[in-house]
Formats: sequence, structure tokens, C-alpha cells
Amino acid sequence: MVEREREWSALLRAANAGDGRAYARFLHAVTPVLRGIVRARARAVDRTLHEEILQEALIAIHAKRHTWDQAAPLLPWLYAVTRYKVIDAFRRQGARVDLPLEDFAEVLAAPSRDLTAAHDVEALLARLDPRSASVVRAVSLGGEAADEVGRRLKLSEGAVRVVLHRAMRRLARLAKGEEHENR
Amino acid sequence: MKTDDLIGRLSAEAPAAPLRPAAVGLAILAATLACSALFLGLLGPRDELGTHWLQPVIALKTLLPLLAAALALPLTLRTLRPAGRPGPWLALLLLPLGGAVAVWLLAYRGQPPAARFADMTAPAIAECLGFIVLLSLPPLLLALALFRRGASTRPALTGALIGLACSAGAAAGYSLFCVQDDPVFYVTWYGLAILIVTSLSALAGARWLRW
Repeated sequence: MVEREREWSALLRAANAGDGRAYARFLHAVTPVLRGIVRARARAVDRTLHEEILQEALIAIHAKRHTWDQAAPLLPWLYAVTRYKVIDAFRRQGARVDLPLEDFAEVLAAPSRDLTAAHDVEALLARLDPRSASVVRAVSLGGEAADEVGRRLKLSEGAVRVVLHRAMRRLARLAKGEEHENR
Repeated sequence: MKTDDLIGRLSAEAPAAPLRPAAVGLAILAATLACSALFLGLLGPRDELGTHWLQPVIALKTLLPLLAAALALPLTLRTLRPAGRPGPWLALLLLPLGGAVAVWLLAYRGQPPAARFADMTAPAIAECLGFIVLLSLPPLLLALALFRRGASTRPALTGALIGLACSAGAAAGYSLFCVQDDPVFYVTWYGLAILIVTSLSALAGARWLRW
């Protein structure tokens, strides 16, 4: 977590000084962590809303980025903003939620897994046929509903689910295969 | 909108000016002083203010609200950033409160029953309450506007503390004009004015300081 603190606070510091690319990197870096937090606590909320809530948290971080005291640690500030906004978003959906510090700490403590997981997923997806890959990206990663995806790809909802199911099984086999190779 | 696109848009915006709590505090202080100064300039302080101040009971009429305001303002500023809290220091506010209650009780006991509420006429009460509330409003509105730029995660508490700071400051300023020297009077009505503004400001904070 110390790594993460140092890395991210340097990025945000640069961003607040006007470096737009550092800011983009910062936002990209925090997004998977925020997504993890939302997903971990959002059982009572419809899955299609997870990404919206994540985006609200990002917008709040953006709107209040000048309230971080740069002489103080970044992670507590980030946590406070995320917690405030996520709880607010959940409350508006009619769901009560607890967002203890442990959630944040847990997701943060698995740093490299998050980043390399994203990289691994892309590498695996590249090994699927294009149609399966786009279904997985849309439904599992993008949180879109199956019937929407079906409309786009000119498939029935049922067909989308079949493609998804088979693609996930193939991905699991590929992932296991990779593991074996690396050992 | 896809999250990547959102990030693209957000990172294209110009950086925001950093928050400076000290500057916010000074602005609120200046507004409070200016309002009281304007009031005293128009209506004039009471005659022989210096002489009257030699009496502790009269000096306390200014000192107690001044202490409350001086304590409340820094506590409020601590809530300007997310997760900022006044913390245990909030208990310091018990000092001016305790002082006010003590002074009230002593004055109450020291008077015959007939005299205790003698000067609580409707005009006197209205003037006192009215002016303190009125004098609190400009710095209060300024403070709320400045705090909207912040990110308090306790908006109602922040509102309450802002209200306390501004109304106690206004009361201290008003006390230089006020000729009601009986603590039974001034603790009650200054106290009520401060309570009214603090409560309204807490409600205002709950609505306007959310983000």
C-alpha cells in the first residue's frame, strides 16, 4: 500500500499542477480499485448500476480534487471521498450500505493482482474469436445487459448467454493452461 | 457513457485552484467584523462603553460570545476537507456555554423575583434577537458559499458550526451597542438568537453543503 500511496500521490500532485496525462493515469489507476469496492458492497443494488456508481465516485473525486491537502497522505482522502459518494449513491437507490475501511484496505492490498489481472484478461480475450471476446467484454467487463448486447450483435438474448457461457469456460481453461505453463 | 470516455473528458479539464482553509477563515472573520463595524458605525456603540466594561457582568456580555466564536471558527475549518472532524476539541465549546449558564444562575439568584424578568419587554427582546440574527446573515451566507467549494463529509455539523461562529461573532459585536446588562436577559436572548441561527445553519448545511 505504501507503493500505491507514493505512486498515486505523485500522479495527483502532477495533475493538480496541470499535467493532464498524469491525471488520466491517476484516474485509470484508481478505477479498478473503486470498481472493486462498489462490487463488493453492491449486492442490494442492480448490477447494471455498478458502473454508474463507479462513475459518480470518479466525478466526485474530480470535482473535489482540490480539497486534498498535498502535505497529507492521499489514500485516506481518496477513501473518504469514495465512501461518502458511494454511500450516497446507494442510499439514493434505496439500499443501505456499510463501507468499512477494511474494504478499501483489502482491495488496495491486492495491488499487482488488480493491474496484472486487467492485462491478463486482455491477453486471454485476444485468444478467443472476436464475437466471443466482444460478448465477454460487453457483459462481464462492461456490465451491459445480455439483451442489449444481443441487439447490437444481432443475436437473441439466449444466444448471447450461450456464447458467454462457452467463452467463460474457454477462458478458464486458457487461464489454467497459462498457469501450468508459467510453473 | 463508458468509463474510459469519462476519464478522457475529466482529464481534459483544467486543474482547480487548491483549497486554502486559512483564507476561508480570514474571509469569514473579515465579513463578521465588517458587519458589526457597519452596524456600530450607523447606530453607535453605547455611551461610556469603557466605563461599563469595568464591570465583569457587562464585560462577559462581549467576552462569552467572543470566546464561542473564536473556538467555533477553527473547529469549522477543520471540516472543510473530506473526513475532517472537529474531534474532541468540540468539548471546548462547553467553556463559554458553562460560563453563560453560571452567570445566568448567579444573576437569577441575586435578584428578587419581581425584578428578574422586568426588562424582558417585547420591544427589547425583538431588538436584541432581531439585530443579532440580522448581523449574522451576511457572514453566514458568505461562509456557506465558501464551504461549498470544500468537501465536508459532515454537512449538517459544518453548517451548525458556521452558524455558531457567525452568530456568536455578531452577538459580540451587538453587545457593544446593547444596554441590557442583566445576565438573565442577555444570556437568554443572545443564547436564543445564537441557537436559532445555529439550527437554521445546520439545516442549510445539510442541504447546500452536500456534494
